Amino acid sequence: MAPTSPLANRLLLYGVLGIVVALFAFPFFWMLSTALKSLAEATATPPTMLPAEFLWGNFRLATEKIPFWKQTVNTVVLCLLNVVGTTGSCALVAYGFSRIDWPGRNFFFWVTLSTMMIPGAVLLVPLYSLFRTLGWIGTSLPLWIPAFFASAYNIFLLRQFFLTIPKDVTEAAEIDGCSEFHIFYRIILPLSKPALIVVALFSFLYVWNDFMGPLIYLTDERQFTLALGLQAFQSRLGGTEINLLMAAATLVILPVLGLFLLAQRYFIEGISMSGIKG
Amino acid sequence: MNPTPKRFPPTFASHRHPAPIRRPGASARKLPWGLLLVLALLLGCRPGEERTADGRVVIDYWEKWQGFEKDAMAAVVDKYNASQDKVFVRYVSQSQIDRKLLLATAGGNPPDVAGFWSHTVVSYAEKGALLPLDRLMKRDGLLREDYIPAIMDGCCYRGFVWGLPSTPATVALHYNKALFREAGLDPERPPQTVAELEEYARRLTKRDADGKITQLGFSPSDPGWWSMMWVYWFGADLVDKDARRLTAGEGDGLTAYEWLDRYADEYGRPALRRFEAGAGQFASADNTFISGRLAMQLQGVWMSSFIDQYNPSLEWGVAPFPALVEGGMGTCIVESDMLVIPKGARHVEEAWDFIKFVQMQENMELLCMGQRKFSPLREVSPSFASSHPNPYIGLFRELAESPEARGVPRMTLWDQYRAELGIAFEEIWVRDTPPAKAMDLLMKRVKPRFDRANAAWDRIAEMRLRDWSQQ
Amino acid sequence: MTARERKKLMMGLLFTSPWMVGLLSFTVFPAIYSLYYSFCDYSVLNPPVFIGLANYQELLFDSVFWKSTWNTLYFAAIFLPLSTGAGIVLAVLLNAATRWKGALRAMIFVPSLVPLVALGILWRWILNGEYGILNWGMQLVGLPMVNWMGEPETAKLGLVIGSLWGIGNSVVIYLAGLQEIPPSLYEAARVDGASNLQQFRHVTLPMLSPVIYFNVLMGLIGVMQVFALPYVMTDGAGGPLRSTTFYTMYLFDHAFSYLNMGYACAMAWVLFAIIASLSAVAHRLTQDRVIYGAN
Repeated sequence: MAPTSPLANRLLLYGVLGIVVALFAFPFFWMLSTALKSLAEATATPPTMLPAEFLWGNFRLATEKIPFWKQTVNTVVLCLLNVVGTTGSCALVAYGFSRIDWPGRNFFFWVTLSTMMIPGAVLLVPLYSLFRTLGWIGTSLPLWIPAFFASAYNIFLLRQFFLTIPKDVTEAAEIDGCSEFHIFYRIILPLSKPALIVVALFSFLYVWNDFMGPLIYLTDERQFTLALGLQAFQSRLGGTEINLLMAAATLVILPVLGLFLLAQRYFIEGISMSGIKG
Repeated sequence: MNPTPKRFPPTFASHRHPAPIRRPGASARKLPWGLLLVLALLLGCRPGEERTADGRVVIDYWEKWQGFEKDAMAAVVDKYNASQDKVFVRYVSQSQIDRKLLLATAGGNPPDVAGFWSHTVVSYAEKGALLPLDRLMKRDGLLREDYIPAIMDGCCYRGFVWGLPSTPATVALHYNKALFREAGLDPERPPQTVAELEEYARRLTKRDADGKITQLGFSPSDPGWWSMMWVYWFGADLVDKDARRLTAGEGDGLTAYEWLDRYADEYGRPALRRFEAGAGQFASADNTFISGRLAMQLQGVWMSSFIDQYNPSLEWGVAPFPALVEGGMGTCIVESDMLVIPKGARHVEEAWDFIKFVQMQENMELLCMGQRKFSPLREVSPSFASSHPNPYIGLFRELAESPEARGVPRMTLWDQYRAELGIAFEEIWVRDTPPAKAMDLLMKRVKPRFDRANAAWDRIAEMRLRDWSQQ
Repeated sequence: MTARERKKLMMGLLFTSPWMVGLLSFTVFPAIYSLYYSFCDYSVLNPPVFIGLANYQELLFDSVFWKSTWNTLYFAAIFLPLSTGAGIVLAVLLNAATRWKGALRAMIFVPSLVPLVALGILWRWILNGEYGILNWGMQLVGLPMVNWMGEPETAKLGLVIGSLWGIGNSVVIYLAGLQEIPPSLYEAARVDGASNLQQFRHVTLPMLSPVIYFNVLMGLIGVMQVFALPYVMTDGAGGPLRSTTFYTMYLFDHAFSYLNMGYACAMAWVLFAIIASLSAVAHRLTQDRVIYGAN
């Protein structure tokens, strides 16, 4: 590399980063801009960068084209059930795999890890068949009941975290004769808040974004989640009313962005910590 | 987006201790179990038996329609609900109804009635997803002969009736009279033969200085909804009489695809592609035919309502699709929307009662008038045609009654064959694959599977037919 | 076993019981059934009929199956190197920045949170052949218009472009990996007179290799199962001309459009085999090159 002055280096670095960030931000801008245009303006050539007139009413129109609020409620409820189910059950199980010493523990933990290798496609049909037998197809039960039975990923994650909590923290309680549940609930959980928040956040996101699950199990538009409702909206519109489609997409993305702003630290830490000690 | 499933990455091996050690118990709170329970109930499962406040049985009816077509059926549903006090039909609009219905039926939780198409009924019947209606029809005195034969054919498969028509449709050549006049053609004399169609199309096509097509006479792929049945217009069949041999690539079928290839050659594939890329959405003022960029378009009986909605000043006419030879009659594609009862529906009797209600002449005409289609019933009230908003409704009905009226083939594996025919069409139309080769590839893809499916049917035919006759 | 040990066992089993139940009912038994169904003619509506290896035999002659496998591998072959390269470069740039680091990182990360359905819809609009803003931009700089999702040659590239928008996730992981590299290594390299580029090659890449390996592996597993994005961007059709019919989409069609559930299960197990062997190959190839740090 040719020797360059530090200032030139800096300028180059921030120049490149600036362009990259602009590229990453542009689709958001374009989505919002299209969402606020009239249909004629959205499909005009050459395109206009900013709407001639900001049609905020497009958002209301978009929410009237699909049962938007109903689907929002469905999605939020589903997310909450999953968050509670996943976080609760995984914490419980992770505790059993980390802070109780019992014969067979390592074997079962090894089995847990190895199930992560099975691609979801393998389980697609038999699970459908199982839920059919239970009469759950066409209801949202398949989308949240399994969350209460823990998942390998999150068990692993929380177990690793619980292992970092020093033994002496719980020793006193054990000597006092406190039950395992008491120790779990009163000592370990409060100490593990960051990890629990990370698990909760990611399970929330997973459900909010999930497409294939609702696509398979939900058959009634009134039960749809937002992701599925948005796709149905698109397929019904074909290419028309792109402005309303962008408005609807914006509304689906906004809560995720809001969540990120509120809990940025947990997102970044949660993701950063993966991969480092692969 | 990173295609990795959005789950938490698996190796969260923290070497730091992110939580400050705090006094135990400080933040442990009661989990809101009550709230959870409420949430779960809110989502709920579908109750098995639902009743209205006045004690009627609620049945679910899924339909695919939107807009005025939906409203027309809603009027009939309201009329039904008002006509008696035992059943309440809940009318639910569904997008992608074919997939949804299959999933719901396979999942054992189907609606009681569903709106379907004659072209999907075959594969669904074959899979055992529908209830044959013969027993109920016989019991209540409904006859196949009450319907226009070509339309009833679309409801049948393997000798059973799988649904009854709601609104039928035929397909004809729509043409723009103003553009005809402008090109020096007689607006009252649409093309009579395929050769004439080519000739007219040539005269109706305009290009700008760059060679970009600004106006096109005719395009086999606009809208291209019947491209898988392209061979029909050349006198060929997709499958032989016993539905045991695929014939799309043979004789006249191959001729049809060669014609297609020549047509694309003549106009130039890049230019056609460019024209298609600029085609607007069907239901919009940007539709190529409605906006006057396409002079002749193959369209169904529904087109008049879209013209009225998006460009009422358009001067248009309708003619049967041209024949191969002078004085002949072109094939007419007939399709029908229909009402079916999915297998496993919880309220078969109530569903049937509703379907029967729709089949009554008065109600059927209310529905078809509202959707601006013709009635599938043989009997029509005298005032129906004269008060119909589509000036060509008589022609559309005649087409359905003509001996050349045909629907999708009644054969096993039609859904897959249909998908492959669409690909073959695209191969030739877009990719310039020689027709013989495209058809050869098609056969390679479909034939082995088709033969196996037939063999599989032979093994279970007796059992299935017996099953169906008892249902 | 002492009473205390017995109590520990009981408590261990009690705490892990949700998972034991879940493992059996949502993973182990379904996996066994899946294997069984793959040897059956099974449509859900009728009970499965054992047909031996027929499903696997049919796969061999199913040209669409081969096409979808090819599409998936092709997509992986373009997307994985691009996303890995871009991810590392972006992470290095971010790592070098001293000001606004958090904000810059956030901007690059945020797109990876966008629901795939919304992402697909948005990029379908940006890539639109006629009104797409990308085409307009390309025209401005004198490039030809491309009907991205309309042509078989470019449809997969369109998906790659849309997917690349969401690489923020791996950028953050790489960035964290970079921050783990001891500064002393760079100092030593500088003392030896290494240029920036040399430092990148001889310090950064080797030290980052475990993270890269992990990311690539996870990316591979994910990309082999890509579904939602092409589904949304092609209305589930996988067109034009099956150029975006990916493995899982074809599997999904067999399972839920044709109700060939047995066939779909056979496809799933073949996918499992493909992923397992690709991972093994990746492991083999990188074994000597991945350097696991002192910690």
